[in-house]
Formats: sequence, C-alpha cells, structure tokens
Amino acid sequence: MKPERTEGHYVAPLEETALEATDTLRVEEAPLSLWADAWRKLRRRPLFIVSSIMILALIFIALFPGVFTQVPPNNECLLANSEAGPREGHPFGFTFQGCDLFSRVIHGTQASLSVGILAVLCVLVIGVTFGALAGYYGGWLDAVLARLGDIFFALPLILGALVITQLPFFRENKSVWTVVVVIAMLAWPQMARITRGAVIEVRNADFVTAARSLGVSRFGALMRHVLPNALAPVIVLATLELGVFIVTEATLSFLGIGVPESVMSWGHDIAAAQVSIRTNPMILIYPSIALSLCVLSFIMLGDALRDALDPKSRER
Amino acid sequence: MRHSRISKALGAAAALALAVSACAPGGGTPGGTEAPVDPNKVISAYSNEPQNPLLPANTNEVYGGRVVELLFEGLRAYDPNGKPVNALAESIETTDSQHWTIKVKQGATFTNGEAITAKTFVDSWNFAALSTNLQNNSFFFESIEGYPEVSAVTKTTDAEGKTTSTPAPTAQTMSGLVAKDDQTLEVTLLQPEADWSLRLGYSAFYPLPSAALADPKAYGENPVGNGPYMMAKETGSWVHDQSISLVKNPDYEGPRKAKNGGVTFKFYTDPGPAYTDLQADNLDVSDVLPSNALKTYTTDFPDRNATKPTATNSTLNIPGYNPNFQGEAGKLRRQALSHAINREEIAKVVFNGTRTPAKAYVPPVIEGFKADVPGSEVLTYDPAKAKDLWAQAEAIQPYDASKPILIASNTDGGNKEWVDAVSNNFKNNLGIQAEIQPFAKFAEVLDLRKTQSLVSLTRAGWQGDYPSMYNFLGPVWATDASSNYEKYSNPEFDRLLREGLTSDTTEGANAKFNQAQEILFEDLPGLPLWDQNRAIVWSNNVIKAETGWNGAIRYFDIEAK
Repeated sequence: MKPERTEGHYVAPLEETALEATDTLRVEEAPLSLWADAWRKLRRRPLFIVSSIMILALIFIALFPGVFTQVPPNNECLLANSEAGPREGHPFGFTFQGCDLFSRVIHGTQASLSVGILAVLCVLVIGVTFGALAGYYGGWLDAVLARLGDIFFALPLILGALVITQLPFFRENKSVWTVVVVIAMLAWPQMARITRGAVIEVRNADFVTAARSLGVSRFGALMRHVLPNALAPVIVLATLELGVFIVTEATLSFLGIGVPESVMSWGHDIAAAQVSIRTNPMILIYPSIALSLCVLSFIMLGDALRDALDPKSRER
Repeated sequence: MRHSRISKALGAAAALALAVSACAPGGGTPGGTEAPVDPNKVISAYSNEPQNPLLPANTNEVYGGRVVELLFEGLRAYDPNGKPVNALAESIETTDSQHWTIKVKQGATFTNGEAITAKTFVDSWNFAALSTNLQNNSFFFESIEGYPEVSAVTKTTDAEGKTTSTPAPTAQTMSGLVAKDDQTLEVTLLQPEADWSLRLGYSAFYPLPSAALADPKAYGENPVGNGPYMMAKETGSWVHDQSISLVKNPDYEGPRKAKNGGVTFKFYTDPGPAYTDLQADNLDVSDVLPSNALKTYTTDFPDRNATKPTATNSTLNIPGYNPNFQGEAGKLRRQALSHAINREEIAKVVFNGTRTPAKAYVPPVIEGFKADVPGSEVLTYDPAKAKDLWAQAEAIQPYDASKPILIASNTDGGNKEWVDAVSNNFKNNLGIQAEIQPFAKFAEVLDLRKTQSLVSLTRAGWQGDYPSMYNFLGPVWATDASSNYEKYSNPEFDRLLREGLTSDTTEGANAKFNQAQEILFEDLPGLPLWDQNRAIVWSNNVIKAETGWNGAIRYFDIEAK
C-alpha cells in the first residue's frame, strides 16, 4: 500500500525542532545524498551483505569457471557414465548423457548471468528512454509511447517469446543475443511505466523549476535534474527483473527455444534431466538449486535496495 | 507408411521405449490366480485425436490407423508375426505375378447390411486412387494398371520456383481392375510383382460401402465398416479431442474375432497422465510410455508388460546435396560416421533395450532379413577406424568446420536423448563438433526435407506398411520414390529392386533385395541405426495384450476380466 502522496518539503512543527536548528546549516559535514544515505543503510543490512556476496561469487564463477573445474562440460560425455553417481573429480556425478554434472552447473552460470545482465541493460536503455520522454514531455508523445508500451505489455512474456523465437531469423541465428533481444522486446514496458511515473513525480519539483528559471534547457533539466532523482525505483526494478530474466532464460532453454545447445544453460540441464527423474533425481536437483540460488540472490538484493532507496517504506 | 505417420509412430514408439527385451517378463496370467475372461468387458486404450476423417485410404498416421483397422476388414489380415492370412478373400491366385484373380468370400456384409462383392473393391480402390479425391494412401495402388492415368497431376511452377500440383486425372477408373462377377476380382499390374498380394491387408485396400463414396467427409466422421468392431452408437461415437468408442460387431466372421466387448480409445496429448491412469487402473492398455518411465515400467507393471520387436527402424539420413558429403571424401565421411556410432551402447543405455542395433536396412522381423549382407560391417562400432576414415577424407577435402555437424530432429517424443548420444559419439570419436538442430514438430523437418533445403543430417524412420522387404527399400531409397526425400538415386539399386519385384518366388525376390542392400551399404545414403521393440503395459483389468508384427496392439485379442 502506497501512502497518500505527501508534500516533498515541509517545515517541522515548532514544538519538535527549535527554529534555529532548522535554520542552521551544518557546513563541516558533506550533505548526504539519497545514494549516500542509502549506502549507509544498506551496508549494515544482512540481506544486502549476503546477497552481494552471493552475486559476487556467481560473477566470479561465470568469469572464471576454470578455477572450479577442469572437466569440459560438453565434451568427453561417455554413455558408459550415464547417470553415474559422484566420484573423485566429479562431485555431482554424471548426466544422462554421461557428462560431468558439476562442470555443467558451473559453466551454466555464464549463460544465465550474461542473459540476465544484458537483458536488463537493454530493458533499461529502452524502458528508461521511453518512460522518461513520455513522462517528461507528456502530451501526444506520452499517448503514443504509452499505447506502444501497452501493446507489448499485453503479450505474456513466455507466450510472446515462443512466437518470436519461431521467426526464421531468430531460429537460424540462435545465440545468447537472440534471447536477450526477445526478453528486452517484451519486458521494456514495465520499466517504461515505472520510469514515467517517477519522472512525472519529479518534473514539477521546485528544484526543476529553479533550474529551468536559471536558463537550463528543457532537455537539460530532464537529463541533469529529473532523471537522476527518478532513478531509485528504476534501479530496484532492474535488480528484481534481473532475477526474473534469468528464470526466463532457463524457461526458454528448457522449452528448447532459448540459447543454442552448445551454450551451457541450467534450463537445458533441467530439461534433459526429466528422463532421469525416476532413476536419479539428483541430476535434476543440482541445476535447479543453482538456478534458485542465482535468482534468490538477485531478488534479495532488489528487496534490500528497495528498502534503502524508498524512504517512505523504510521506517515501517 | 509415410513419414507423417512415422513421425507419430516413432514419436510414440520412441517415447515408448521398451524394456530390455531379453529380461522383460512378458505378458502372462499371474500365476495361480484364476481370472475368468469377460467377453463383454469394454477396455480403454491410449490414443490421440486422429488427424483425418476415418477413411481407410486417407488414414496414414497411427492414431487414426488403429481405429480404422478395427472398423474394417480387408481381403487379408496379418497374424501376430506378420504372416498374411485370407480374410475376405477366398483365394488369391496368379500365374505370372502380373495378373491376379481374387475370389471374394460370399455373404460378407457391412454392418449396415450392404453386401460386399468384387465390385465393392473395384469402387473403393478406384475412389482411393483417383487424384481428385486426395486420399493420402493413393500411392498404394501405384502398381495397378491404369494408376498413372487416375493419379495424374499437372505441375505448375510459379515465378518463385514453387511447384504446385493440381489433380488432373485422364481417367476415372483404373483399367487394371475388373469385377468379373460378384465374387471374382481381376487385377492386372503394370509389371509383375511377386509380393503384391502381401499388401492386401493394409488399410488402404479396405472395402468401402456406397455411402462412403457418396459423401466421404460425413462418412469419415461416423464410418460404417465390416471389421471386428463398429462405432458404439449409430449416430457416431467420435467425441473430438476426447475419445472414440467402439463395440464388438456381433456379426463379424473372420480371423480377428473380438475377445472383448469393445474398445474405447481415450485421447491423451501427453503419455505422462496416461501412465498414472494405467497405474490406477483408469486406463487399460497403452503402447506409449513417457520416456522417464522406460527404466521403471517393468517394475511398475510386473507381469503386465510386454516387449516385442516390430517392423520399424530408424536411420540417420545424410543428404547428398550437402557439399561436405559428396565425392570420395563424402563417402569416407559417411563410413566414418557410421563406425563412430556405438549402437549397442545407445540401445542399452538410452533406450534401455527398447531398440535393437540395426544389422541391415530391413528389420529382422521381416521375412528375407539377412544379418550379414556384404558391406554391413560398416555398422560395427570401431572408433579407431572411424577416426582413420575421417582423416583420409580430410586429406582429400577438408571439412568446412565453421559449423558443427547438425542432426535435425523434432524434440518431442523422446528423440533428443539419442540424438545427443550420437552427437557425443561423433565428438568423442572423430574430434569434430556435433549437436542437435532442434525442431518443435516433425512436420517442420519434413517440410524442409521435401524441398531439399535441410543440409543437416536428419533422423528418419520407417514403419512397415505391410511385411515385405520391398516396403523398407522401395518407397525410401528408390529413385524419386514417395518418401525418398533426400533424393538418393542409384540406377543399379533401382534395377535390382525391379528384378526382385518381378521374380517368381519370394525367395528369389528377397535375394535380389538383399543384393540391392549391398549397394546401399556401399553408398550409405542413410546410416541404419536400430530397429524398434515395442513395449506395452496394461492395467489389472486386462489379462493379456500383445502387439502385432508392426508394433500395433492387437486390441481384438485383448482378454479382459
């Protein structure tokens, strides 16, 4: 529940704060920006610390899988090892095709993270641009962009992705990038909406009016004053969506329309493990746990960021 | 049988996988328990929505086929081993394999009382073959004199090079079909064909009542036949996307008399729920098992499962138009690929014994099969030789390694597992990159193959239409044959097939067909992979079920309690 919109600036009641106190300017201390304030709050929150460590670890695994395993994930798969249990050098055992499961799980991190991060960047670029323009300028531009967003917003992500990936161009050029493009195409409207709302909230603030009256161009005011002050909810959403996109990538790969077979992906592994579910469920469980941990860490980070950046919900 | 049918058959069968044939307990009455057979019990069976209206000559996929086969009776029927026995035919005689005289049994009728005479067959077959009727199975009549005229089409090529064909028959009936009297049917073939009569049990040759010819579409919704079963209600019992109910035809006299009261085919889109229904005795028999049950179905259904080799095989076809597989280097590469596939291990591990490694282009259940056709050594697993052959090919013409070897396959129906395994064989034994090229539907692969625009290796399968070696060679590998999508052509192979067809005895014919296989082993247009065993399971309501030569359940033989 959002509280009623309150005035952004107010004068404290007299009985609480002495008038002199509000008038005094503390010059010896650097003023705390929203970001610095948020950071101070964040670094003490266990949720943030845990999720950050997990994400850093995941990024390290994605960048340097060789540190953790020397076994190639996709070659040296021997049917003789099919569904074999763990043994020395192969802590998770083997998949149905006899590939080393540990190595596949480790190498799968890369696809998930890169799709997630790249898709979020694309969504940020498209969504923030459209949302900011629509919210700031309003009028016909707002109407056009909002309707355009509504069209894409009405397409369910998975259904839309199923259709788009069947287009010949996408089918023949399957790669991490096609998945990124598909996700970005379908997921930007939400980002645009949030940005639009935040920009509308800020655009009439006094400091924007002040900047404009001092001669800052309209566009300049958007870039220098409005956007930076509207970014907080955008960052929170981006972090949460990162987790969602990682799930989407795994889902698409599970359905066989995600990244190509040669790219390791947890979605592929989970799909391939269905055959083994009655005989060796661990083959299904390991990549599932990896996927869950990865998504969980981003969702946790998003939560922590929201708490820190949204002053309204903070104290409750 | 065309690949559309195969796709489902293979999908089904692939999904189905069978148990280790050697150790499957096989069907049998549980020892000691006396279970009286209830001849009126209606059994329920796994199936799916038929693709087309239920006209025998238009049904070329398994789910419609299994209904049609119960509703109709042809001149012949097949015993469980694929041996044809006369059904409506009193006798089938020929002296030169070209002119056939068929005596139709007296007194046979459709369930609506209409008599079945020689003329019924003439009319039904002419209907099926006429190109304007667009019956899927019309090519089964291709050897009858006059077929080229009734099947004629005009082909037009538009500006984009797309060919469309419009039916343009120059005759309405086949001149080679004559009903001499009510009981005598005379058939003249275009050329002598020793095994022609073997196919007379196939559904394309079933008789149709006059109502069918008048309004095929309406008839196909509620067919009136002459088989061991009939539609449960006179007004029709095909509930689309749900079920088809059949009941015993009380007047049926023939080799396939029903041992139960009826069959209700329940349509499932996924074998998973069907499997749990079977375990709960809500479904009585299924020939399609979910792939994750392949290793457990023998323990989930102790004494209630059976696995039997069937006349269905799988090959890995290599398009001749792929530049990497042309000339001498291409030949060496094909041999290398064949030697690199560990068929034994894949059959054992991936299919859990529900496949038998192929020894020829024809499955062992077909009469005339020979396991040691010269050249078949190429099917043995020999990684060292494979690597050597590949290196020799590289010396002649380096492989364009910019793209991995792709194996096109639909990913539904349990194909991905073995395609991955074969890719791994290629990777490990030849040091090349290989991976699956996934398609959502088999039809998508087929469309590309038909236009020769699929350069990848492609999986292919063939389910026998009738138990004959020719059926596994002619339609698939002969020049311009109906299912020769990769356009393989070798005049010598075609000549041996023709010689086989025209020889007087089946033995002579089979010898020629085996000679023809030697050429296939030399050219390797496709790599034989394995032959299927069909696994079926049944509920506690059923005493015993079994599959026929082609892997289809013999529903009429099912005894229920």
